[in-house]
Amino acid sequence: MAKILEGPAMKLFNKWGIPVPNYVVIMDPNRLSQLGEANKWLRESKLVVKAHEAIGGRFKLGLVKIGLNLDEAIEASREMLGTKIGTAEVRQVIVAEMLEHDEEYYFSIIGNRDGAELLLSTKGGINIEENWDTVRRMFIPLDENPSIERLTELAVEAGFEGEIAERVGKISSRLILCFDNEDAQSIEINPLVIRKSDMRFAALDAVMNVDWDARFRHADWDFKPVSEIGRPYTEAEQQIMDIDSRIKGSVKFVEVPGGEVALLTAGGGASVFYADAVVARGGTIANYAEYSGDPADWAVEALTETICRLPNIKHIIVGGAIANFTDVKATFSGIINGFRESKSKGYMENVKIWVRRGGPNENQGLAAIRKLQEEGFDIHVYDRSMPMTDIVDMAMKA
Amino acid sequence: MSILANKDTRAVIIGGVAGVNAAKRMAQFDFLINRPLTVQAFVYPPEAGQQKEIFRGGELNNITVYGSLAPALQEHPQINTALIYIGASRGYQAARECIESSGIKLISMITEGIPEKDAKRLRMLALQHGKIFNGPSSIGIMSAGECRLGVIGGEFKNLKLCNLYKPGSFGVLTKSGGLSNEAMWLCAQNGDGITSAVAIGGDSYPGTDFVTYLEMFENDPETKAVVMIGEVGGSLEEEAAEWLGAQQRRIKLIAAIGGTCQEVLPQGMKFGHAGAKEGKKGAGSARSKMNALREAGAYVPDTFGGLSKAIKQVYQELLASGVIKPEAGIDESLLPQLPPSVQEVMKQGEVVVEPLIRTTIADDRGEEPRYSGYAASELCEKGYGIEDVMGLLWNKKLPTREESEIIKRIVMISADHGPAVSGAFGSIIAACAGIDMPQAVSAGMTMIGPRFGGAVTNAGKYFKMGVKEFPNDIPGFLSWMKDNVGPVPGIGHRVKSLKNPDKRVKYLVGYVKNETSLHTPCLDYALEVEKITTGKKDNLILNVDGTIGCILMDLDFPEHSLNGFFVLARTIGMIGHWIDQNNQNARLIRLYDYLINYAVKPERPVPEKK
Repeated sequence: MAKILEGPAMKLFNKWGIPVPNYVVIMDPNRLSQLGEANKWLRESKLVVKAHEAIGGRFKLGLVKIGLNLDEAIEASREMLGTKIGTAEVRQVIVAEMLEHDEEYYFSIIGNRDGAELLLSTKGGINIEENWDTVRRMFIPLDENPSIERLTELAVEAGFEGEIAERVGKISSRLILCFDNEDAQSIEINPLVIRKSDMRFAALDAVMNVDWDARFRHADWDFKPVSEIGRPYTEAEQQIMDIDSRIKGSVKFVEVPGGEVALLTAGGGASVFYADAVVARGGTIANYAEYSGDPADWAVEALTETICRLPNIKHIIVGGAIANFTDVKATFSGIINGFRESKSKGYMENVKIWVRRGGPNENQGLAAIRKLQEEGFDIHVYDRSMPMTDIVDMAMKA
Repeated sequence: MSILANKDTRAVIIGGVAGVNAAKRMAQFDFLINRPLTVQAFVYPPEAGQQKEIFRGGELNNITVYGSLAPALQEHPQINTALIYIGASRGYQAARECIESSGIKLISMITEGIPEKDAKRLRMLALQHGKIFNGPSSIGIMSAGECRLGVIGGEFKNLKLCNLYKPGSFGVLTKSGGLSNEAMWLCAQNGDGITSAVAIGGDSYPGTDFVTYLEMFENDPETKAVVMIGEVGGSLEEEAAEWLGAQQRRIKLIAAIGGTCQEVLPQGMKFGHAGAKEGKKGAGSARSKMNALREAGAYVPDTFGGLSKAIKQVYQELLASGVIKPEAGIDESLLPQLPPSVQEVMKQGEVVVEPLIRTTIADDRGEEPRYSGYAASELCEKGYGIEDVMGLLWNKKLPTREESEIIKRIVMISADHGPAVSGAFGSIIAACAGIDMPQAVSAGMTMIGPRFGGAVTNAGKYFKMGVKEFPNDIPGFLSWMKDNVGPVPGIGHRVKSLKNPDKRVKYLVGYVKNETSLHTPCLDYALEVEKITTGKKDNLILNVDGTIGCILMDLDFPEHSLNGFFVLARTIGMIGHWIDQNNQNARLIRLYDYLINYAVKPERPVPEKK
C-alpha cells in the first residue's frame, strides 16, 4: 500500500488522459512568480495553494488557501513553506487553477480479489457520504476494460445525461486504464468538476494508492510513497526503515506515544498477536515492531536500541513464535548487545524484560539472554513450553 | 492421510540459493521419515548445468539445475509440484509457466513482494487450469509423516518436537509462516499432532483461501479438527465462518484472529502482513471476524495464549467421543538422528582427524589476525612496525628495538636498484606489454636467483659455517670453499672495488657496528675474509648480499629466510616500476635489431621431409 501525493497523482492522470486543472509544484515562492511570467493561467485564473505534504486536515491547519490571485498565491506559499507541523515540515506547495464550475461528481475505483470496482455519482464533493445511495457501481473483471458504451450506460444509470454521460463514460474508461496500467490499488477523485460553458472537466482533488511492490516495472515513478501510518514518520522510524531497505529479512518499527509496554517481537503474524495480548490485558503499547526473515544481528541490535530509548516504558516484550529459519542465537545476540549498550547509556531503568521464543538454535539463544540476569537486568526468560502470549499476562500482573 | 502434499509428491524448485537451502531442509525431513528425496530438480537460468549437493541423512545427492522448466519436467516426469523461490520481478512468469505445465498440480510460492496484480492473475489462472496456487509469501506446506514443502517446520530438532514424523488429527491453516510452526507445536503439545499444515501467506490477495483448504480437510478422514490462524483484513476468515455455518461439518474449527489491537491504535496505522488492513466501516476487522466465527460454531479464544487450552479441550472431547482413538506414541529415541558434521563430532571429542597442514605462525580464526599470538591491532597500538611483523612471521619472535631498526634499514636499501637490473627490467617489459600488476611483478620476481639478488641466503650460510668450522682459519675456509662451492657467495662486485666502495655496505656495516650493540660474529668473519680476498683482487669486496646475509645470520633469522628480505624489498621497487609505466601509459617495447647480434645461419631452402 503506498499513498502518493496529489502532484504525482495528477501527473499520472495527465498521462492517461484524465482531465486535471493546470498546476505547478514548487519549493520556492520566487519560482512561482517566474512561472507566472511564463503561464497565462497563473495570471488570469483564481488559484488554490495547498501544502504538498502528507499532513492530514490541511484545511484546518491553514495549509490550504483558495480564491487567490498570483500575488496572493506567492504570499500564501511564502507563508506555508517552512511551516512545521509536528515532525513534518512543509517543503513543497502545489498551486492549481481553481476552475469555476457548475457541478461536482464522484469517481473512484478500488481493487478487489477478482478485479476492481468502479463507483460513480453525480453528487460528488464534501457531502458524498450523505449521498452514498446515489453511487452506482460496476465490477471490472481483472485485465478487462469494458466498452465506452457500457460505461456510458452506467453513467446514465447514475443520473448523468446526454453529452455529459458520454464524456463521463470516456473518463471512466481512462480511469480504468490508469488504474490498471499504473498498478494502482485505489483511486478516488472527489470532486471531478465540470464547467458546462465549454464542457471542461477537471479532477480537482484525488487520493491515489499504488502498489509499491510493482515499482520495478514503472520507470517513470519518480515519487516516494507518503507515510502509511496517518502521520509523518519520526526520525527513529525513518532510521529503522533505512536499515530495513538495506538488509535481507526485515525490521519494522512504529511509535505509539504514551504506551508503557514496548514490543520487540518477531514475525509479521506473531507480533500482531503480542500487540493484541497487551491491549486485551488492559495494557498500552509504546510501539509496534517486528523483525523477520533472519535479519542480520546488527539490524536487530539497532531495533533493540531504538526500542530501549522509548520514553516511560515499563516492560519490553521479546516475544516470538517458533521460528522456521530465523536463527534465535544470532538475532538474540543483537538484542543482547542492544540491551547492554542501552543500559550503559542510562536507559532501561526499572524496565522489566519478558522473553519467549523458539526456533533454530533456541537453546543457545535463550541461555545467552538469560545470562543478562547476572548483569543486573530484570529479565524473565521462557522457552517454547510457555504459551506464546502468556509472557504478556505475566508482565501485566507484575 | 493429508492434504496437498503426500508421499507421492515430487517437486521442482524454481530459484537460486534460497531454494537450495529449502531443498536441504526438505531432505532432512525426507531422511527423518525415510522417504525418497522430494526435490528432483532446480530451475534457475544463471546456474543452468550446475549440480547442487543435497544430503538426505548421510546420503549425498546431486540435483541438477536446469535453465528452464521444460527440460526439467522431461527429465523428471514424476514432478507434480513446483516451489517458487525466485525474485519478485520474475515471480509471475515463473509461476505462470508452472501453472500451465500439465504435470504440475500444486504450485507454492514463497517469494515476497509480488505485485498484487500479478498475484490476482496467478490466482485466476490457477482456477482456470484447475490447479492449486498457494502463496505468495508462503513458508510452505507440511504433511506429517509424508512430505515437507519449503522450510516450514524449522530445524531438524523441531520436526521431532512437533511430532511431524507421524500424522495426527489436526489440520493447520495460517497466513503467517512463524505461526504455522507455532500452531504445529501447539497441536503436538496439546493434541496428537497434525495431518497437514498450510501457510497461505499474508499478502492482500493470496492465491487460495481458507475455505478451499477447509473443504479438503473436511474430505480427509484423518483430519478431525482444524486450527486456523487468521488476521485483520480481507474476508477469508468471514468466508470460513460462512462455510462452517452453512451446514453440519465433520471437522471442528478452532480459530485465533490477530489484529484486535487496531481498535485502540491511531487511525490508519499499518502493521503486520501486507494484507492486514481494515476496510471501510470496520469490514474485515479482527473483532468482526472473531464474532462471525464464534457465531458459526468455531472455538475462538480471546488471545493467542488461549489457543493451547482450546486445542487441548477439543482433543479431549474427540478422545472422549471416540472420534480419535488413543494411540501409543513412538519412542522418540528410535527416530533417526541427523548425521553430525565432522566439526560437530570433533567438538564432542569423538573422532580424530589427521590435519592436512600445520601452521606455527599466524591464526585468523578470532576477531582479527594474530601473528605468533599477538593481535595485529595491538601491535599497531603499541608502536610496532612492519619490521617487527617480519620478525614474528619469519622468525616467530619480536625483534628488539635495535634489531628492528637494522631490519628496516636492510629493506630500505634493497628496495630498488633502478630500471636496468634484471628484476625491475622484467617488470617493466611486462608492464609495457599491458600485463596486470601481480603478473608483471612476478615477471620481475622470477629473475631472482643465483645471479641476481639470490646470494643472500648462501652468503649467510657459508659465512656462518666459516665461523663454526674454520674459526681463525680464513685460508682454510677459502680453500674449502674453492674445493666445494666455487667463488664465495657475498664476495665480489662487477663495478665496485676497494677504491670505489659500495656505499650501502659501508653504511650498513658502520651502522651495525657503531650504533647498535649487536653481537656480529658472522659479519666480523666476512670482513676478515674480505681483507684476504681484496689482497688477491681489488674487486673481491664484501658485497651488499654478503653484508645483509651476515647481519641477518647475526640477527638469528633462519638461514632459508634470508632471500626473503631481498624478495620483499625488491617487490616494493617492482610495484613502483609497474605503476610508473602505467602512469606514463608506456607503449609495447621490442629490441631494436642493432641490439641483437644475429649469429644465425644464412637463409636457405627447407629440405623435403624424410
